[in-house]
Amino acid sequence: MMPRRHIPRVRALGVGVMLATMAALSGCVTATVQEVREAGTGIAAHESIVVLGRKHKTRGETETDFVDCVSRQVGGEDLGVMSEQAFVDATFPWFEPRTAPVDVRDFAEVIAQPLLAERIREIGVRYLVWIEGSTVRSSETGTVNCTMVSGGIPACFGFLSWENDSNYEASVWDAAQGIHVGRLSSEAVGTSFIPALVVPIPIIARVRQSACAALSDQLRTFLASEA
Amino acid sequence: MAARIPRLLRSASIAALGLALGGCGGASVSVQTTVPTPLVEPIPIAVGLRFDDTMRQYVHEEDLEALGKFRIELGATQVPVFERVFAALFAHTERVEAVAAPATQVDGIIAPSVEELQFSIPEQTKSGFFEVWIKYKIDVYRPDGELLGSWPLPAYGKSNAQNFGFMGGGPSEALNDAAIWALRDAAAHVAFYFPAAPEIQALAAGTAAAEASG
Repeated sequence: MMPRRHIPRVRALGVGVMLATMAALSGCVTATVQEVREAGTGIAAHESIVVLGRKHKTRGETETDFVDCVSRQVGGEDLGVMSEQAFVDATFPWFEPRTAPVDVRDFAEVIAQPLLAERIREIGVRYLVWIEGSTVRSSETGTVNCTMVSGGIPACFGFLSWENDSNYEASVWDAAQGIHVGRLSSEAVGTSFIPALVVPIPIIARVRQSACAALSDQLRTFLASEA
Repeated sequence: MAARIPRLLRSASIAALGLALGGCGGASVSVQTTVPTPLVEPIPIAVGLRFDDTMRQYVHEEDLEALGKFRIELGATQVPVFERVFAALFAHTERVEAVAAPATQVDGIIAPSVEELQFSIPEQTKSGFFEVWIKYKIDVYRPDGELLGSWPLPAYGKSNAQNFGFMGGGPSEALNDAAIWALRDAAAHVAFYFPAAPEIQALAAGTAAAEASG
């Protein structure tokens, strides 16, 4: 039997304090969501939704991890979510970057195709949520310079800060009726800092994650409630 | 123990520097993918499929000097992609080795080939995307080998560099992703538009007329 290794209590406490400090050292983020409802919603137990990222644009494409984040966070026991990949594979080639309907008029025509209509019924997807937008670094000030000091140990000095802006919009289409049922938008702004006095201490504002959480919560409420 | 900390920090610094410099060294990808079976109504004709060397062994190599050497191997992954799409588009498909006088009974022969591949990386375009363009040509022959026509097939795929950051695999994975999207785009384009090509309409009309006459 291997001898059990005891971690000194002081070191364990130090690691705990460090992790707690890092968790506490996250920058402030302000997030706002807005909603425009155009029709009633509601979803049956056997129905699900899919969250899709727009991919036909050459600039400002929504990050894959944001689409995944919304898809993960909006789902739950009372709301089934089909993955984007599973949906585009099941409906291939109707929702590819070049062939996907760009507006609800196209969508109504597309889902009238018998083979596609049958497939969407089979997989049980009721609502399509199209996500557009991205997170950009809007401003940056200061510098952090790192150098090797005696003994080859790197040391950093300075102060760096930057602001991230997240701006996302979700359009919700009803596959059962071929209509646009509403639009939700999520904006988040946050400033991150890295003060460095030998050791850099990043204080990162989790802007994209805040935008994702705010949009997901609003989306869940929007889909569950009637007009 | 205390003496090990500077050594560890020095090793970590060198590793970080190596990783940072490694990001500018070009990329080499061997694309492996497939596509789902398209949701399309099959055209009631039998076609032979001929895949030439460009569909089996295509490799694009380019030296972008300061940005490094790039190699994209499409190779044999194209054959199953096109075969799956054509199998969904037509009532019957089979492989043939030549475009003229095949030993089997088919209504026409389809021979796709790669004409050109181009790519770009974010450092060139400042767009934040890795992009791949593939120019295919699909020749359509009658069973006796007469060329009915050639159908151009432009395919495009892009991959957001932001999805492949520091820990996400870097340029090779992003370029591979863009090439996979390009192949998927080719398959989608064929599934959508090839049935309406005049050459395919002519084959279908010929088959329908032959069946009506006897």
